[in-house]
Amino acid sequence: MGLGFRIGVELVAGVLVGTGIGWGLDSWLRTAPWLMVLFLLLGGAAGVINVHRVMRGMDATIGLGQAQRRADQAKDH
Amino acid sequence: MATPIEQFNLQPLVALKLGSVDISFTNSSAMMVLSVTLITLFLTLSVRSRALVPGRWQSMAEIFYEFIAGMLRDNVGSEGRKYFPFIFTLFMFVLFGNVLGMMPIPKIGFTYTSHVIVTFAMAAVVFTGVTIIGFARHGTHYLRMFFPEGAPLATAVILIPIELISYFSRPFSLAVRLFANMTVGHIILKVMGGFVVSLGAFYLIPGVVPFAFLSAVTVLEFGIALLQAYVFTILSCIYLHDAIHMH
Repeated sequence: MGLGFRIGVELVAGVLVGTGIGWGLDSWLRTAPWLMVLFLLLGGAAGVINVHRVMRGMDATIGLGQAQRRADQAKDH
Repeated sequence: MATPIEQFNLQPLVALKLGSVDISFTNSSAMMVLSVTLITLFLTLSVRSRALVPGRWQSMAEIFYEFIAGMLRDNVGSEGRKYFPFIFTLFMFVLFGNVLGMMPIPKIGFTYTSHVIVTFAMAAVVFTGVTIIGFARHGTHYLRMFFPEGAPLATAVILIPIELISYFSRPFSLAVRLFANMTVGHIILKVMGGFVVSLGAFYLIPGVVPFAFLSAVTVLEFGIALLQAYVFTILSCIYLHDAIHMH
């Protein structure tokens, strides 16, 4: 259950947070629904990045560049 | 017969109202008070003797202490020592919530970690705290971690929002992981318990099969209760590490 469940959570959390941010920006800037659509897609991308990070075992880092560097360092050692 | 999700109902024990906000003392609050009381009693009474060669209770308290101290040392480093009280409290609160939720306590028996608002509140505190620590230590330099070094500047338009969303989704995945594991486990236990009663009432032999399964799942649930407390704490430690070291 562990890994599969985590991947599901990461994917959904990315999409939900992205959509939420877009919705919030929309109601603030009165641009509905365009920012929500945009951030839905960005949220999906963020979810995929999170899943990629979980699979590479570097899920806990902020930023893909940081994660990549840490993974490279781990390889060197 | 009780439905499997009835166990998650909040029952007000002392009805309280603050304006139009319901702040009743519920079975969930009672369990939180109980777990905090038990943690305090356990930790203060067990180390009262302050023996150099620890007795049975004192070694138990020391195991908890050393477990979290080691986790902080390995994942955050020596700067993490400052945050030991917070991480230790977090771990003990989640652990006792998970384990006490498995106990058949009359009247107030409840698993407060099975409510997403409780786990989300804890995750939000961790997330906010880590973000504040990051900004306090690195200033605006902390924002640099949202853009990978060496990436073409033109990709910033798309990369920064994605990294921001990824960053903001962390408290959600942290909260949902703990909440969903506890909820799912308790529903499975209840459903299996229902099978034992409804099958065992009519035929003895088929009733034994779900009972054996229920026993195995109960052991598994205790394992998950410990494991999820560990996962929640270690992820908080790793987030803290990133805020302090940024690499």
